[in-house]
Amino acid sequence: MQNKKVVAIVLGIMCLALTAGICIQIRTVNGTNTEVSNNYEENNLRAEVLRYKERYENKYKELEKAEEELEKERENSVQNDSELQSIEEQITQGNKIIGLSEVTGPGVVVTLADSKKDISASLDPSSLLVHDMDVLSVINELKNAGAEAISINEQRIVPTTGIICGGNIIDINGQKVGAPFEIKAIGLPEQLAALERTGGYLELLKSYSIEVSLKKSNNITIPKYTGTINYQYAKSVNE
Amino acid sequence: MKKPIRKGKITMVITIGIACFALVLVMCMQFKIVNEADITSIENMREAELQTELASWKEKYEDANQQYEDTEAKIEEYKQTKASNEETRNVLESELEQVNMSLGKTDVEGEGIVITIKESDSEDAETSVPSDDLLSIVNALKLAGAEAISINDERIINMSDIVYINSGDFVKVNGQRVLAPYIIKAIGDPSYLESSLIGNGGVVDTMRKTGKDVTIDKPNTVKISKYNDDIETKYME
Repeated sequence: MQNKKVVAIVLGIMCLALTAGICIQIRTVNGTNTEVSNNYEENNLRAEVLRYKERYENKYKELEKAEEELEKERENSVQNDSELQSIEEQITQGNKIIGLSEVTGPGVVVTLADSKKDISASLDPSSLLVHDMDVLSVINELKNAGAEAISINEQRIVPTTGIICGGNIIDINGQKVGAPFEIKAIGLPEQLAALERTGGYLELLKSYSIEVSLKKSNNITIPKYTGTINYQYAKSVNE
Repeated sequence: MKKPIRKGKITMVITIGIACFALVLVMCMQFKIVNEADITSIENMREAELQTELASWKEKYEDANQQYEDTEAKIEEYKQTKASNEETRNVLESELEQVNMSLGKTDVEGEGIVITIKESDSEDAETSVPSDDLLSIVNALKLAGAEAISINDERIINMSDIVYINSGDFVKVNGQRVLAPYIIKAIGDPSYLESSLIGNGGVVDTMRKTGKDVTIDKPNTVKISKYNDDIETKYME
């Protein structure tokens, strides 16, 4: 009798556990099922995104080739005329300044990284992170110190570049980049290093325990802008 | 008496066996589902995110395609005009014109907005560094697709800086002193430019909330004058 009771109780508990398990399972599976049907549409979208990404990448390669060819063609066309050569030089030089060709030269590399301090122990966790305004201010100081070309994590700063914060990442030229931010600038290294002066923005960031470093270098390469600059609204006016 | 007990035992063993099997199965399913949830960026995106991602790649593709066609056309032009210096010059000059426009070395006009920031008379206006406000406005305008920007007729070029000179209490743009009222002109889609500034949390919205006098006009055409100095580079090659 005693034995039977124990068996009954054990079986009872087991059945209860199983039923509960199965119920949970069914609910989860039901949940996933609706997601699966959603997923079907999302998968289509995903495939579409990848397809366009690939199309863009292919087109961009073609574009790069065409640009090289254009440069050659341009050089060929102006070969026997010094006046035309000077126009050609202005175009090449202009493209460097706008950011449409790769440039090298002396300069500095500034690195900004989020603070290593424990965020949960801080009263104002936000102050331990690098924000869009911080990057913007550092860029502005670099320009003030005479930087001729600047990039952030290999994203070239062009006349139309805007910087926006989105959570832990920053959006530059429509590309998402995350901390640490490596800002390269070409210019007179001694002058650019003035960013570390007292009262400068880097000092302010340091006081918030943001990890800041500035290194001078004689050979910095800054990549060209990988997007396109189009004008839809603005038109040149000739007087 | 012995047989029924045996029967009971066997039944029990079988029942427990089935129960264990079922439990293990359930656990396996559970693990699989949990594993599947741990996937990388694009797989994790929701429909809305995917839509914006798709739109941005489409736009990029179209821009690249447009530029590719333009470049091809230019190559063709150079090839055709090879014989004549005069024609080559025309092609070169039109290309230079484009470059100069990006550099900010040409006067431009087009649709856009004009923002005026007046020195506030009200006592309770919070004081802030004007150069920070200007820097944020310029950044917001660029994000909203502004094609040309100027502050008090100082054209914003790729190397423009906007700094506040503490000792003199004024702002310098491109190394030139600019004084209030600040008039910022921008060319681009007017409604887009405006909404990026006055939307909730936008720069101008925030400035107004802190008691600043900021007005935005949308004239039919905005004229922005060129950068007046030479743009010189010494260090980059």
